[in-house]
Amino acid sequence: MLLAAASARASTATYLFDGRPLALTHVSHAAGAAAVGINDPGLRSLVRSLGAVITWHPGERYVLITTGAAQVISFSVGDRGYDVGPLSATAEFAPYLVGSEVYLPLADLLRSLSLAPRSDGNATVLQREITSIDVRGSAQQAILVARGAGSLSPRVASESGDTIVYAFDGFGSTLEGSRPVDAGGVRSMQVRVTGSVRNPRTLVTLTLQPGTRHDPPRSNDGDFEVAFGGGGSAPPLLAGGASAPVAAAPVATMTPVAEPTPPFASASPPDGTNASAAPAGTTIATVGGVSVQNGSDGATVTIPVVGNAQFAWHRLRAPDNRFWIDVQNAHLADGPLDQPEPDPLISVRVRQIDPQTVRVALSVAGSKNISVSPSATGIAISVGTQEVADGPHFGSGSVGTLVSSNEPQALVTPVPPDEYGQNDAGATWKFGPHSTYVPTRPKLIVIDPGHGGGDVGTTRNGVTEASLTLDMAKRLQAILVARGWQVQLTRETDVDVKRTTQSAQEAISDGYRSTDAQDLQARDDIANNAGARLFVSIHVNSFINSGPSGTTTYFSKPDDVPLAQAVQHDLAATLGTKDDGTIKSKLYVTLHANMPAVLVETAFLSNPDDYAKLNSADWRQRVAESIADGIDQYAKQYPVPSANQ
Amino acid sequence: MKSSRALLLLLLFVAVAFGAWKFFSSRGPGAADHLTVYYTKLDGTTLGRWPVSLRTQQSGESDIEHLHNMVLYAAVQAVAGPPSDVSAIRFPPGTHVLGVNVHGSTATVDLSKDVTSQGGGSFGETGEFKGLVYTVTGVPTIQAVQVTIEGSTVATLPGGHLELDTPLRRSDF
Repeated sequence: MLLAAASARASTATYLFDGRPLALTHVSHAAGAAAVGINDPGLRSLVRSLGAVITWHPGERYVLITTGAAQVISFSVGDRGYDVGPLSATAEFAPYLVGSEVYLPLADLLRSLSLAPRSDGNATVLQREITSIDVRGSAQQAILVARGAGSLSPRVASESGDTIVYAFDGFGSTLEGSRPVDAGGVRSMQVRVTGSVRNPRTLVTLTLQPGTRHDPPRSNDGDFEVAFGGGGSAPPLLAGGASAPVAAAPVATMTPVAEPTPPFASASPPDGTNASAAPAGTTIATVGGVSVQNGSDGATVTIPVVGNAQFAWHRLRAPDNRFWIDVQNAHLADGPLDQPEPDPLISVRVRQIDPQTVRVALSVAGSKNISVSPSATGIAISVGTQEVADGPHFGSGSVGTLVSSNEPQALVTPVPPDEYGQNDAGATWKFGPHSTYVPTRPKLIVIDPGHGGGDVGTTRNGVTEASLTLDMAKRLQAILVARGWQVQLTRETDVDVKRTTQSAQEAISDGYRSTDAQDLQARDDIANNAGARLFVSIHVNSFINSGPSGTTTYFSKPDDVPLAQAVQHDLAATLGTKDDGTIKSKLYVTLHANMPAVLVETAFLSNPDDYAKLNSADWRQRVAESIADGIDQYAKQYPVPSANQ
Repeated sequence: MKSSRALLLLLLFVAVAFGAWKFFSSRGPGAADHLTVYYTKLDGTTLGRWPVSLRTQQSGESDIEHLHNMVLYAAVQAVAGPPSDVSAIRFPPGTHVLGVNVHGSTATVDLSKDVTSQGGGSFGETGEFKGLVYTVTGVPTIQAVQVTIEGSTVATLPGGHLELDTPLRRSDF
């Protein structure tokens, strides 16, 4: 497949990594450039220790490395272009095949993994690097975010009334320097690298205003995050979601003060070009005279560029409305710029963030529509006054004599409701149920307390989902019976349902089906065999972090939609939870129930507020009453034909 | 005279047909230079998206190889999720793609067993697989995604909710 470069004699290179020798044995020096084979045991070990995973099989074009920070590094056989997350770069040479092994440009690979080779006497140390430190925030809150090689978990080296020092042991950095912050009680930030090449230590010192408090640090996909805010005994600054909910612009970003990572010394890579930081055969472009024009329909930022250059833009979603564009292989002719701007902008900053890159960063007052228009003479960024929903978060293109952009039109457009508005159960089947199902027992409702027995479901502090769902199911049973319904529970005690039914075993004929599926099928069998009118499964939601909360009714089939809408209608309002609406999903129990069926996720055990509610018997009683009201409402709206009554 | 005109017309037809064939065959299954990766937002249902660059089909890379490579790329990007500063429902830490296969319009995506370390609710499962399915079915000709775990088909995740032993489609969400 693809390209097969000339084979090269493999050799061994030895490094020091985390204080231990690391031998790369599949190293090629073809044409003087260092390349490493993907099957190199040393490389595999290195990647593993960084929490990263390589995905590649012989015959495949892409070599994909997923880092511990959930970022994808993608090399492509026969192509010098490679991507590190949203950023595109050009490698010293294209990855190539030798036999059935693909060889990657070693310097580019190490750089993309945030590793810097540094000389120490006769040894070369692969130093873990902190590649970005950013403080986002407003006057009330600030969040320090750091990213680097592997998962970051610094220690607090010292803490006094007005300073706190985080020590990243084993990490070097090119981000040394000081910056003012003035947000969230943080006055300033200083980054300093101490120690030796073999044992580096990066110290991040924050100077605080009196009374500033901070959350315990936490890891967010390998990133280090810590939030700061005003004094007092307020709740945690971060709710525990997947990302920091601070509605403000960046207030301080540490950028490299030197060449980020020196490339390996190499004469010329296999394709014959000279290895250098800039793409071969190109001259550096010049950026100068960035200006802003304001008008009634918004603002236009004009970035004049002389010469050819690639650019990449990025946008953070609301509420962190930042937009920046990096002009690569470019030099800033003027000094840095940092000026406030009227609405729809807040500010514009221009600076040289590394020797090859000029960054123009915009703080935007809200989720405005933004478009980027490259031309032969530069780039125009138009920021409109219209609020938009969401859209791409990055794009790239080129400017100069060869102009291109992967998003030449509006970059951010409202999301089409038919494709993305998934909360549209009514729209999908707006003419009501298509049901041909006829219950043989029209007064029977089967209530399914989720989980049980060997499967306790989600748990927190000894509270199990299985016990909560059984409690709520029994409450619902009592209410419905009092209202004249017949009710059957799929389980009355803490047991696996599959052990209570014979039919489940018969219904499961596929050998690979798991015991979990047998359990779920057994629940459906109870309702299906009884000819029940409705099936209602009660669950408690959970997630891997404490951010999400609320009440949702899930459904799978067209028949389920009116029941889901009726049950969900007043549920969240009655319970005082967040209304997460009705959601379609291919859930086993609702899909395989013959009758209209729903699965109610009453609240999140993983969320502190919802957890408190779930622990209240009064609240669980209200869950039962509200679901019963929804069932009654549905039955009134969609009566069973009289012949079946 | 008539026969030469007929011959001319025939030659013209052959030339047009050949040109059309070359045009469409050279496009291959994926002429796009970027791929849209979807993720489910923290409301549990709406989708966010962002483009990632995608290499165009190389000379010597067959349509089948290119399709396979696009599916692999799409699956890995979807499982990794958007940049960490984007709020999204994410696969459990450590979850990664072990490999992909394409049979007709169905792509099989083999995931590592880390995916079984779920938080325990319908929320995470639905959001995670919805993003994966929307992303992979964004590859031309792919209509459905069969999920396997460490090479095995599973009916559901342990203690899970979503049915996984039949291919997932966009219409399932």
